Amino acid sequence: MSRLTTNLLGIQLKNPVIAASGTFGFGKEYEGYFDPSVLGGISGKGLTLHGSKGNSGIRVCETPAGMMNSIGLENPGVAHFVKHECHVMRSTGAAVICNLGGHSIEDYVKATQMINDADIDILELNISCPNVKEGGMAFGMCGKTAAEVVKKVKAVTKFPLMVKLSPNASDISEVARAVEDAGADAISLINTLLGMRIDVRSKKPIFNNVYAGVSGPAVMPIALRMVHSVCKAVKIPVVGLGGISSYTDALEFIMAGATAIQVGTATFANPFAMPQIIEGLEKYCVQNKLENISEIRGIINK
Amino acid sequence: MPVILQNSHVSPEVCLMTIKNTSGRAGQFYMLRPTKVLDPLLGRPISIHDCVDGNCSFLYRIAGKGTKLMSEMRAGDTIEAYGPYGNGFEPVDSDIRLIGGGIGIAPLYFLARTHKAMYPNRVIEAYLGFVEKPFMLQYFRAVADFVYVRVGGYITADVPFEENVINYACGPNPMMKAAKEEAEKKNSKLFLSLEAHMACGVGACLGCTCPTVSGNKRVCKDGPVFLASEVSFE
Repeated sequence: MSRLTTNLLGIQLKNPVIAASGTFGFGKEYEGYFDPSVLGGISGKGLTLHGSKGNSGIRVCETPAGMMNSIGLENPGVAHFVKHECHVMRSTGAAVICNLGGHSIEDYVKATQMINDADIDILELNISCPNVKEGGMAFGMCGKTAAEVVKKVKAVTKFPLMVKLSPNASDISEVARAVEDAGADAISLINTLLGMRIDVRSKKPIFNNVYAGVSGPAVMPIALRMVHSVCKAVKIPVVGLGGISSYTDALEFIMAGATAIQVGTATFANPFAMPQIIEGLEKYCVQNKLENISEIRGIINK
Repeated sequence: MPVILQNSHVSPEVCLMTIKNTSGRAGQFYMLRPTKVLDPLLGRPISIHDCVDGNCSFLYRIAGKGTKLMSEMRAGDTIEAYGPYGNGFEPVDSDIRLIGGGIGIAPLYFLARTHKAMYPNRVIEAYLGFVEKPFMLQYFRAVADFVYVRVGGYITADVPFEENVINYACGPNPMMKAAKEEAEKKNSKLFLSLEAHMACGVGACLGCTCPTVSGNKRVCKDGPVFLASEVSFE
């Protein structure tokens, strides 16, 4: 057994490093840089029941030590995923996480039922996308609405259910407890933070939706604080993400209590970010004589 | 880490950087990122201006923080260079006309050189438009059979679109849109090399999609070169 082997909801991950949804396509885009089989898991591009063309206008811009996006969940839809993309993800050799967003509870339930036919390991329920007007994040803003959708999805899914939370909720720990009570098997956080930029030359917001999601190294301490707080609030496993770009960042999330971590924006800046993080974690375990990375999980809380 | 062989101004706002051990075809691009900098975080998508003996050169305009940092780098410095990305120009055995606006002339030079080498008997005409002082004209004069330069206004107004000549345009969006309209009027084939805000360069982030007649396409992966008749301008 390797020092980095991580059990997440009964799935054996080679290591605790997972590609974050929306930053790694369906697993093949970065093959020119590294073999995706080295990853613990891949969370695919966020799906919606019928698919979406996404948002119009500028979709990405940079901020100091970070970026903003307003993609708007452009995706080919659940049926296409089940028929074509889940096999592509499976062929990578990393654990397959299917990320699902939605505009209504009915959509979430219908999509979940369709995904039951797909070859995946974990369903990641996205109730936190800030870039679609019809909902998405709306479900994740308070415990009551979050619990409602989680309960309905949990009732129909045959896969372990991980729920991805929004940092834009007024009390993320309250939302975490609510989704745990509603039957979530794990929690991932954080999705992007809602932000805004204005083009001073045109005197208009940069994004057609005005607000957009902020990610990258700039948000890492905020994400870490929220992961720490949620780890203390719930008993189910927590997957931490938000600005992780080095193995020491990853260690901080694990020491705060995260079972695994996801890497997103860092890959855009440096395609080798994830393999470098995995290598760094491995070396850290050797140097610190850890049999398994889990020995330092939540160590600051002990 | 790739090493910069040379980096110098060709005008107050435009620089030419050559990076060791890089490769690619005309119309492809790299994501260039000053090493170890977190602000800006991402690479700049810069098209290949030329490639000689395994060293690509990149013509770029100082437009913001990232390109400013790039302009301050020196020979011997290392830079993160990810690529080559994108589809590039498809070589066609035909007379061709290049339509460049400002820094958009960058990939057209490499196209001209490649085309001349492959089809030496074909005619290459270059129509280059600039807002102010032109740059890099000597490069085009060395390889094209005819170079027309315009300062101010739309270069597309001066281009004689013809049915039997294939056109390649790269420049600001309003110019590209005008080129598409003119080319369609004259039933003249036109390829556009598009520019877009992008984060990854490999087709993963979907930040750079553009609407086309067959749905959204990724400028970084499906492009940046598209047949103009495919592209729907907003």
